[in-house]
Amino acid sequence: METEVDKEILKSAGAELLPDGRKGLLIHGWEIETIRGTILTSLAHEQYSNLYLSHYSVCALLWEEKLKTSHLPEMVFGENTLVLKHLSSNTKIHFNAFDALAGWKQEGLPPVEVPAAAKWKFRSKPSQQVILDYDYTFTTPYSGSGVVEKDQETVEAKANTEGGASLKWENCEEQIDLAALSLKEPILFYDEVVLYEDELADNGVSLLTVKVRVMPSSWFLLLRFWLRVDGVLMRLRETRMHYVFGKGETPTVLRESCWRETTFKSLSAKGYPVDLAVYSDPGPISQRLPVIKQITQKLMIPHKV
Amino acid sequence: MSDLDRQIEQLKRCEPLSESEVKSLCLKAMEILVEESNVQRVDAPVTLCGDIHGQFYDMMELFKVGGDCPKTNYLFLGDFVDRGYYSVETFLLLLALKVRYPDRITLIRGNHESRQITQVYGFYDECLRKYGSVNVWRYCTDIFDYMSLSAVVENKIFCVHGGLSPTINTLDQIRTIDRKQEVPHDGAMCDLLWSDPEDIVEGWGLSPRGAGFLFGGSVVTTFNHTNNIDYIGRAHQLVMEGYKWMFDSQIVTVWSAPNYCYRCGNIASILELDENLNKEFRVFQAAQQDSRGPPAKKPAPDYFL
Repeated sequence: METEVDKEILKSAGAELLPDGRKGLLIHGWEIETIRGTILTSLAHEQYSNLYLSHYSVCALLWEEKLKTSHLPEMVFGENTLVLKHLSSNTKIHFNAFDALAGWKQEGLPPVEVPAAAKWKFRSKPSQQVILDYDYTFTTPYSGSGVVEKDQETVEAKANTEGGASLKWENCEEQIDLAALSLKEPILFYDEVVLYEDELADNGVSLLTVKVRVMPSSWFLLLRFWLRVDGVLMRLRETRMHYVFGKGETPTVLRESCWRETTFKSLSAKGYPVDLAVYSDPGPISQRLPVIKQITQKLMIPHKV
Repeated sequence: MSDLDRQIEQLKRCEPLSESEVKSLCLKAMEILVEESNVQRVDAPVTLCGDIHGQFYDMMELFKVGGDCPKTNYLFLGDFVDRGYYSVETFLLLLALKVRYPDRITLIRGNHESRQITQVYGFYDECLRKYGSVNVWRYCTDIFDYMSLSAVVENKIFCVHGGLSPTINTLDQIRTIDRKQEVPHDGAMCDLLWSDPEDIVEGWGLSPRGAGFLFGGSVVTTFNHTNNIDYIGRAHQLVMEGYKWMFDSQIVTVWSAPNYCYRCGNIASILELDENLNKEFRVFQAAQQDSRGPPAKKPAPDYFL
């Protein structure tokens, strides 16, 4: 999804591509990079286990152990990440599936029944039936991870826990300047990575992605959790971050999180179509989903530690 | 060269047939499929293939690895359509091979071979886009109703798309199902196409969705013993390594869509059984981008907000 950008445009914007075929760029003291890999391996085969045991990040079983769960999305892109590093302050904002799933585990929503469940209640129960009750939608409150790297030691702080130690996101009144973002500035770098995805056994979709665009004047990203349980509900949890280059004394990242959610029942009551084909892409229909939570915060990036 | 041979050649180049050709192909296929049993008997040697999901060029890789039909005898475990870009060409090629070589290729039904599911996950839209009408989708989905529900290789290997059902103890019980219908939302036929093996349950488990069975090792042991079979071959679930044994080699999942959805990076496999039922998994990767003809879509940077 990476695209070719004219070298001259990059140069005049003061940006340079990352070396060695890495995807991303350096611009105004930020290093912005995406990394992509495959889905986690199941470690079911001996010939693979030896190969991958040393490669922690790609083993589903090890993730399950660390997250204390026996359920993971069907497609977990364990190596996929977007990293935005503010070099002079060692501030790193990044996005990854592991932290997002830790958020899912912690939130632990009750499962949502699909429409067919009504019929199933009348089926005769097999003996020794166990009813599983984890949140199979993998809904997460994740809004990104953060870390301030010191020279040797690294201080970890998750950006989604309130009052996180190292990255201090504060509530604020400022809003992301959507008008400025609507200007068709050249895009110097654009990419989108999937963090995890599940088809809910063909009952809809659960998808966590993050996309980024870098322009001469700013960078902007959108982390989106999109859930559609067919015939039941839709949930959209979006986090946007915006940073304007060279604005003000203290470099400041703005972050807006907006959660939307509605049921198919309530859409139908409002006269909207409930035809699933209409709801394949959350972008155009997000306005139909009422906002249930919204928060704007800012991160003042400290001067060199 | 007969019309059918010409159509097969055309489909192998990923060129769809005309609407009237599809209609007559489906009529011929119907005459063959209607005669098949719900537990179709298959002789060894045979090669088992899992989900394809419209990944036409990757299926061509499968034939490269497994050999051409009719030289190789094939058993496809369903899910020919949806998700990928070429469901039409994929399904029609398999169907044309079925009509041309009815004893050298067996196609059983997956949960995606359904009117309801294909309207949500791609096949319906693809037909509409490629033909300008839904007639081809109608012909194909009518054929789905005639496809067998399972197969048994040399009376020793039971093959099904999804898995077992608590209402099914014997193969004879499967033989009594009236299969010529849309896949129902519950009952034995639904379970065969939808259920999954699950490590963390011993007997039966109910999905947290409230519909959908999971079955544990003891269920498989009992079924295999009752029906005097060695193991179960099934598909339905993505496996990074292409195949996965469970419950002490009593059931194997075979997955034949490499780099699923064009982004998972998984390996695919087929299971070759020789005349003595000796097993050999052949793994393969996705087709190279340049052998796939024009790219289906090239994502451009977008001014997302």
